[in-house]
Amino acid sequence: MRKFFPVEDLARDERFNKITMKDRLGDPRSVFTIGEPGDAKKAKFRLTPERRDASDGARGLMHGIFVGEIQALEGAGRTCWDFETDVEAPFALKLDMARQCWDEARHVEISVKLSEWMGTEIGQYAENTVLFEAACSTDPVLRLAGVNRALEGLAIDVFTTMKEFGDMAGDPYLEFCEDWMLADEVTHVKMGSDWLRKVTEKDPERRKKALEFQGVVDKLFSYGGTRSESDESPIGLARRFRELAGFTDDEVETINELSLQALEERKTAVVKLRDADQFAQAAAGE
Amino acid sequence: MPITVTPQTFSYVSFDAATIERIASDLVASLGMAEQTINISVDETTPLARTVIRLGGDSIDIHADSGAFEDTRKPRQQSEVTTATSLGRVLLRARDRQGGGFGEAPPDGELSLAQIAAWETYSIGRLEKLGVPVNRQRWLYNFRNRHGFSDASDGAFEQLWDSDGLTWGELCAISDRAIAATRDPA
Repeated sequence: MRKFFPVEDLARDERFNKITMKDRLGDPRSVFTIGEPGDAKKAKFRLTPERRDASDGARGLMHGIFVGEIQALEGAGRTCWDFETDVEAPFALKLDMARQCWDEARHVEISVKLSEWMGTEIGQYAENTVLFEAACSTDPVLRLAGVNRALEGLAIDVFTTMKEFGDMAGDPYLEFCEDWMLADEVTHVKMGSDWLRKVTEKDPERRKKALEFQGVVDKLFSYGGTRSESDESPIGLARRFRELAGFTDDEVETINELSLQALEERKTAVVKLRDADQFAQAAAGE
Repeated sequence: MPITVTPQTFSYVSFDAATIERIASDLVASLGMAEQTINISVDETTPLARTVIRLGGDSIDIHADSGAFEDTRKPRQQSEVTTATSLGRVLLRARDRQGGGFGEAPPDGELSLAQIAAWETYSIGRLEKLGVPVNRQRWLYNFRNRHGFSDASDGAFEQLWDSDGLTWGELCAISDRAIAATRDPA
């Protein structure tokens, strides 16, 4: 069986449409049409039942969770196989990745059922494959940093937002299922935190590299301010659960700052684009 | 009567103005609104999916965000079904307001979330009868989010979905009863 599987070769049937981060970054549209960078008046996009498009927003996010679970399963599975036991990766690390595969497989099934409950078909939304891309590193420690700490960390934020949504809307299934999956995600992040410290205990350079990679993935997933403590972001930052997963206060604060910075950058880009568009329209009118 | 679509060419998204016009034309014919002038403007700078209508003397102005016509499988591409669903919903709301029986309905901006969900259920149910493909479960989930997750809520959904010729008062009564029954189960 081949090692280091490229993202382009992931098996998907005709229901799925894969897109890359490049496609997403190439979309010039933005939801930020009201507030401008630094404005006191800020639009609220946090996913709560009060939002007019709450049901569709929750459906879209749930589908994102579903495809994320598939890729997390594929990523953890690759880590079990791609590295030589006790030479490149300890046996116990692989055992944790095997346990994670079992968790992710259950999460996929739960997500399918939840999607049906919410009226979403499999493949109804485009699948961003960036999670698996982060799982393609040739260093298992970088995978743990990028996937288990950055992306599973994001999953903690997403599940917390969805759990709160289910609770507020009175949806018993959504609230219950998200709570169970959230508990698993905290464990996955904790595994990543523990193994990162253990494997790089005597290799500070490798640890530094892994944490830098985690920062890159965190920034990438904060693109457009999708996740931050600001109400302008659809997804909040789940500080308490991140602490339980082994993040230090400083690390959580860094992610928060990174997310807010990404939000402001996106708003600045939108204003620039809008100004350029208005300039082009004015020029065409002349 | 004419149907106009602006812009005629799109730069942020790959939409086709002629397709939007054709879908709108088919819908107004099916809904018996062919005498109306319909002006559709699309804001292609936002991926949100809001649709807003303004009723003038002889015309209906529809303002749609690009997400209202978009294929969620293929970002920035147009979906004919989504376009038909979004336009059908607002056209039916316009027809309800113009046709009588909905005179007491507040302006769109003042509708409660439960009233919006009830009216959408009523509209999408009628669109399905016209042959527009719809995912019933999606709208049931939307209705439950606004009226509670209960048997009473599901019963109210069925009633609205299967109805035709309701007045605003009747629609609100169904919605209010569902909310009350969810809060206070017998």
